Amino acid sequence: MTQNIEIAMRMEGITKRFPGVLANDRISLDCRKGEVLGLLGENGAGKTTLMNILYGLHQPDSGKIFIEGKEVKIESPAKAIELGIGMVHQHFKLVDTLTALENVILGIPSEHPMVLDLAPARKRFLSLCEEYDLYVDPTVETWRLSVGKQQWLEILKALYRDARLLVLDEPTAVLTPSEGEQLFKAIRKLTKEGRSVIFISHKFGEVLEITDRITVIRDGHVVGTVPTKEATYPELARMMVGRPVSMDRKPRPSATKIDPVLVMENVQANNDRGLPALKNINLTVKAGEIVGVAGVDGNGQLELAECIVGLRKRTGGSIRIQGHDVDRVMADPSFVGYIPADRQKVGLFLTLTVAENLVVKDYAKPPFTRRGVLRYQAIRQHANRLIKEYNIRTPSSEVQVVHLSGGNQQKVVVAREMSAQPPLVIASQATRGLDLGAVESVHNFLLKERNRGAAVLFISTELQEVMSLSDRIIVMFRGEIMGEMDGEAADINVIGQMMLGQVTEVVA
Amino acid sequence: MNNKKQRGYVSLPGIGDLALSGLRPLIGILLGLIAGAGLIALSGVNPLSAYVAMLKGAFGSPQAFANVLVRASPLLIGGVGVAIGIKAGLWNVGIEGYMYAGAIGAGMVGIAALPVAPIVHIILSFLAAIAFAVVWGLGPAYMKAYRGVNEVVATIMMNYVAIFFTSWMVHEPQPMAEPGSFFPMSRMIAPTAKLPILMKGTSLHPGFIIGLIACVVLYFVLRYTPFGFRTRMLGVNPVGSRYAGVNVRQQMLFVLLIGALMGGVSGAVEILGLKQRVYMDFVAGVGYESVAVALLAGGNPLGVIASALFFSALKAGGATMSIQTGVGGPMTVVIEALCVIFVIGVGYSERKRLERLDVAEKEDKEVEYDVA
Ligand SMILES: Nc1ncnc2c1ncn2[C@@H]1O[C@H](COP(=O)(O)OP(=O)(O)OP(=O)(O)O)[C@@H](O)[C@H]1O
Ligand SMILES: [Mg+2]
Repeated sequence: MTQNIEIAMRMEGITKRFPGVLANDRISLDCRKGEVLGLLGENGAGKTTLMNILYGLHQPDSGKIFIEGKEVKIESPAKAIELGIGMVHQHFKLVDTLTALENVILGIPSEHPMVLDLAPARKRFLSLCEEYDLYVDPTVETWRLSVGKQQWLEILKALYRDARLLVLDEPTAVLTPSEGEQLFKAIRKLTKEGRSVIFISHKFGEVLEITDRITVIRDGHVVGTVPTKEATYPELARMMVGRPVSMDRKPRPSATKIDPVLVMENVQANNDRGLPALKNINLTVKAGEIVGVAGVDGNGQLELAECIVGLRKRTGGSIRIQGHDVDRVMADPSFVGYIPADRQKVGLFLTLTVAENLVVKDYAKPPFTRRGVLRYQAIRQHANRLIKEYNIRTPSSEVQVVHLSGGNQQKVVVAREMSAQPPLVIASQATRGLDLGAVESVHNFLLKERNRGAAVLFISTELQEVMSLSDRIIVMFRGEIMGEMDGEAADINVIGQMMLGQVTEVVA
Repeated sequence: MNNKKQRGYVSLPGIGDLALSGLRPLIGILLGLIAGAGLIALSGVNPLSAYVAMLKGAFGSPQAFANVLVRASPLLIGGVGVAIGIKAGLWNVGIEGYMYAGAIGAGMVGIAALPVAPIVHIILSFLAAIAFAVVWGLGPAYMKAYRGVNEVVATIMMNYVAIFFTSWMVHEPQPMAEPGSFFPMSRMIAPTAKLPILMKGTSLHPGFIIGLIACVVLYFVLRYTPFGFRTRMLGVNPVGSRYAGVNVRQQMLFVLLIGALMGGVSGAVEILGLKQRVYMDFVAGVGYESVAVALLAGGNPLGVIASALFFSALKAGGATMSIQTGVGGPMTVVIEALCVIFVIGVGYSERKRLERLDVAEKEDKEVEYDVA
């Protein structure tokens, strides 16, 4: 595959400094024609920043970029596109109210600026869909698309502009396994055509599967580049985090409490499109246990979580938290710690500071408010403590959250929700976008909550972590609970089948 | 052209942060004034001498400045009412209507010959103004908060209703109306309800002091109280606010009602301090101007002080400019509008820059081009 080593893109000595952070420190790397280059690194290591520089969104303080051997200056995304670079962002941004097709052609200067003739564009779009087996209905408004489809759309958008180098920033974080497979097929096709792909992910399995070489970044500098064939999981983990990391099932004291904290009876709810998403859910979570919810994304997990925290109306059934009706609980958010799957939409206030974000549930209580006045000093102190405890990488507590890396934004939510010591914790895709070390520490924090006596509902599409963390596992499929089993004894094959809707004999 | 402006912002990272911290309106205003100078030059007048005349008209004498302060009074009060809405992500553009409602309230009590001390009469008039305006604002505020009606539509509609309601109130045979007057208007308010004049030979009344206090108080409310914190949360992320336990509907209602209250006070100040009668068109767009003032200030209550003064200086100076140089009076309105547009433009490119840096791409310059 890589016999003729032609370099598609090369970065040399890229340095980028933000106020208080050295995001990229003399980074050099290259990407060959027809290869998939993996980019691995902790949260805040500088991966997204580096790619944003390549895409013209940031200007490097120093360093050079070469495209096919020629030095270039990329001062805007328009220039990047002209140079054949496409990028799918970590938090992608499509215009919600436009159709898929409109989003794709958005920003392409048309030949006749006064008329919008979509017919040829549609033809080209559909042929791309077919060619790469990534079908998206061109006429549907983007907000109706699932995250997976939105991802296809972002990729199609780049291909429509004939990108020869495609940057995918954590593309699989939001995909179901089968969508992931589909993506990989498309990537393989792209590289066969001689295009190159830069693939950023925190999931080692994927990186090992799809990439040809892997460059590891830590604290803004390159630790090393290895051919994937020679790479092993422990070695990569060590390069990345700087210490060995284990994802095995964690030892734990057996649960002693038995009080039910969360009791759901015959709960029904609709999804955003008004279709039934939860059908008669009966579920109890007791104090001191972690109940894992396995399942392919989009089978009602989001609705389940939102019903419990009161963000979604039930169409039937009842939910009680510590004996109180959930509707009354809503008024006092300290009952539930919620780590939402969509952190930017629900969990964070992007233009408020880190310190302010950490108190959005408690700002009105002492010590943050005394005699009716907010005490910023207490708020800052609180923030500094959590920043340390949860290892949030930020120049200071007074930085707007929007400036943090994706994983560190997630840590802000985790820190706020766990530090309040709520009786019930709902963690929905809590480790999405987190690096290896951070995943481990979130797991440890959840375990600590459990041992403290909290009831924890752990929703994840990563079967591996559900199995390693849960005391009890339930599997959701099309809005129903397909089965339930003990965490210690769970069989990954049985769960896998249930996730696909196959009912197996009940396992003891 | 848009392109160039964008580029400037993208490649000069330093300016961005400054701009966010308050330089942004200044840059916008500067651009607006430059563009205005261009227009003045087009009409055949030396822009420099026009602006000098304007400055003189606004700051040339204590009387001139008193005039600026009088004009600034309703803008300060109304503007800060809009500003708190902006912070909560709400476009409370009903100030004009609240001003009318407040004026009627203040007028009714002010006209009555009450056997009380002036200070009491004035306070009662203000309370009536507040009561009227808040009740007036309840409708649209409720529609927005509890029925999901777009607040721009709801509040603007009510403006028209308020204007015609006022007209009806001051027509005979309504008790407020001046009997036998040629032009429909209310009777004169009682001497005890008049705001005192602070400077001989001018109409300077304490309205601007009320305005300054309102701006400072609301600044502190926004920054230092739980209520203000909730308001800012709501403005940044309504869904997140709901989850975090904010009663979003109630918060919206309160914020809109604070706007109404401010509008009422603003109307009362105009009546008790300056106009002394209620009639149709007595505010003549001041309520809408308050929206522009708040926009120029980026929703910052302290910024409202600067922008209200700027607007009123422009207005007051504009009259002098038009007398001395022959540039038409409407030019000042054009300049005002230009400043607002540029401030919004700078803010827009600023926001885009942030989005580019942090969240995502989007070739905005071409977006506009394509949609056109
Ligand atoms: N616009 C910005 N202003 C200030 N600091 C920034 C900005 N963008 C990124 N940073 C900082 O630069 C560092 C690198 O961030 P970057 O987003 O590149 O990390 P990342 O490797 O993509 O992490 P993740 O895996 O969490 O997405 C972080 O410390 C982040 O806080
Ligand atoms: Mg990133």
